[in-house]
Amino acid sequence: MTAATQKTVPSKSKKKRKGKFEPRIVAFCCNWCSYAGADLAGTSRMQMPPNARIIRINCTGRIDPLFILDALYQGADGVLISGCHPGDCHYTSGNLKMRGRFVLLKKLLEDAGIDPERIHLQWASAAEGDVFTKGVTAMVERIKKIGPNPLRKGD
Amino acid sequence: MAKRIALTQLSSCWGCDQSLIDLHLRLLDVLPELEIVYWPAVVDYKLHDLENLPDNSIHIGLVEGSCRTKEDMHLLEIMRAKSKILVAWGSCSVFGGVQGLANQWDLKELLERKYMKAETVTDPRIPKENLSGFTEHIVPNPELVEVDVLLPGCPPTSDNTLDALTALLTNKPFDLPAKTVCDQCPMEREEKNIKQFKRTHEGKIEPGKCILDQGYLCLGFATIGLCGAQCPTVNTPCKGCFGPPPAVTDHGAKIISALGAVADMDPEELQNAFPDPIGSFYFTDYASSYLSKMRGKNRGKKK
Ligand code: SF4
Ligand code: SF4
Ligand code: SF4
Ligand code: FES
Repeated sequence: MTAATQKTVPSKSKKKRKGKFEPRIVAFCCNWCSYAGADLAGTSRMQMPPNARIIRINCTGRIDPLFILDALYQGADGVLISGCHPGDCHYTSGNLKMRGRFVLLKKLLEDAGIDPERIHLQWASAAEGDVFTKGVTAMVERIKKIGPNPLRKGD
Repeated sequence: MAKRIALTQLSSCWGCDQSLIDLHLRLLDVLPELEIVYWPAVVDYKLHDLENLPDNSIHIGLVEGSCRTKEDMHLLEIMRAKSKILVAWGSCSVFGGVQGLANQWDLKELLERKYMKAETVTDPRIPKENLSGFTEHIVPNPELVEVDVLLPGCPPTSDNTLDALTALLTNKPFDLPAKTVCDQCPMEREEKNIKQFKRTHEGKIEPGKCILDQGYLCLGFATIGLCGAQCPTVNTPCKGCFGPPPAVTDHGAKIISALGAVADMDPEELQNAFPDPIGSFYFTDYASSYLSKMRGKNRGKKK
């Protein structure tokens, strides 16, 4: 685990703060861009809400839609997918495949009665620590509006 | 010694029975091995006949259909108690079936749609008398009771059921294959690069060539290979009626994953190509999907 991930994973507070909803977000970050971007954000001490649990993957093309469904099923309030800009994927087109999967998944969620805004796809390069940080902040705001995942297990 | 067998129908279309009976004269090969102790589709038994049997007294119990009513639940539990080997027979039984698609709505909405608002209704009322009541949503049978053998298919082919029965009658295991419909399909395949998806009635499917390559949603790649690829063989896309192979936990997720890889389309076009993705990707197994389970858990919480 690098400095950045340690910073973004909140220490488990034992106290239960009732009434205040802090979204739990699973962030799948591509190793070649967003993960490095997140790292940069960490080392440059950018401010970022501590709600995202970052999972490093080799490429967004490697994300099985099952991972996203499983995260929601296990109670994640939101799932953020962060990859290389179109044209910049280390494996040529993994991110475009992810984009296709993502739009289909969004429609599925919507039809199943689950707010599709719980999942989000963004592009952030290795140099864009700020873009990554803004993405996480926006995600947290979005999820705060939607509210907790009803399947969320005890804090 | 003939083995005692029982066949039960929960909420279903009875097509699995039909498929079994389609064995015609070949039925005669297995019938002498069987002592039928319950099969209301064919023999005049009543529920109490089944209820009165001692526990574990049936060698093979086949359950067709899923639990839409409380009576279905009761039947399933009795079949479990009375059978040594309980077989979930058909996609309804294994995954919840086509009726599992109803899990997109709440029971109240479903009842209103069917009994109050349907175009043909003249005397709108929700039936209550002499009924056991409905289940809130469809839960696949293997999640309700312990099931020993799974035989998916909508319906399983006559040979599938014969093979399973033959194996079980001779104390052999009946395991599901890992292969897919594509593995059984004779169509010629090319590098996949799909620019547009068509509905089945649009254009013409060219015989001999992979149907998916031609831009029709053929789900053979995500569907367990048990039927012998009977639809693509006659130029009809596989709708995935047998559900996914055992290693795949969510049919739709697998389908989406593959579509993302083979479609060379704008995201918007791709999304618009499937106006009813739940219906298209989970024809007989929505009740066993993550999405449906999420909603099911929610329902549990609300109560
Ligand atoms: S699995 Fe298909 S054929 Fe069998 S009862 Fe269900 S709907 Fe009918
Ligand atoms: S996609 Fe359909 S037509 Fe193509 S090989 Fe698979 S089963 Fe056959
Ligand atoms: S080809 Fe597909 S739709 Fe046709 S019977 Fe086999 S599994 Fe079902
Ligand atoms: S390598 Fe970053 S999205 Fe493919």
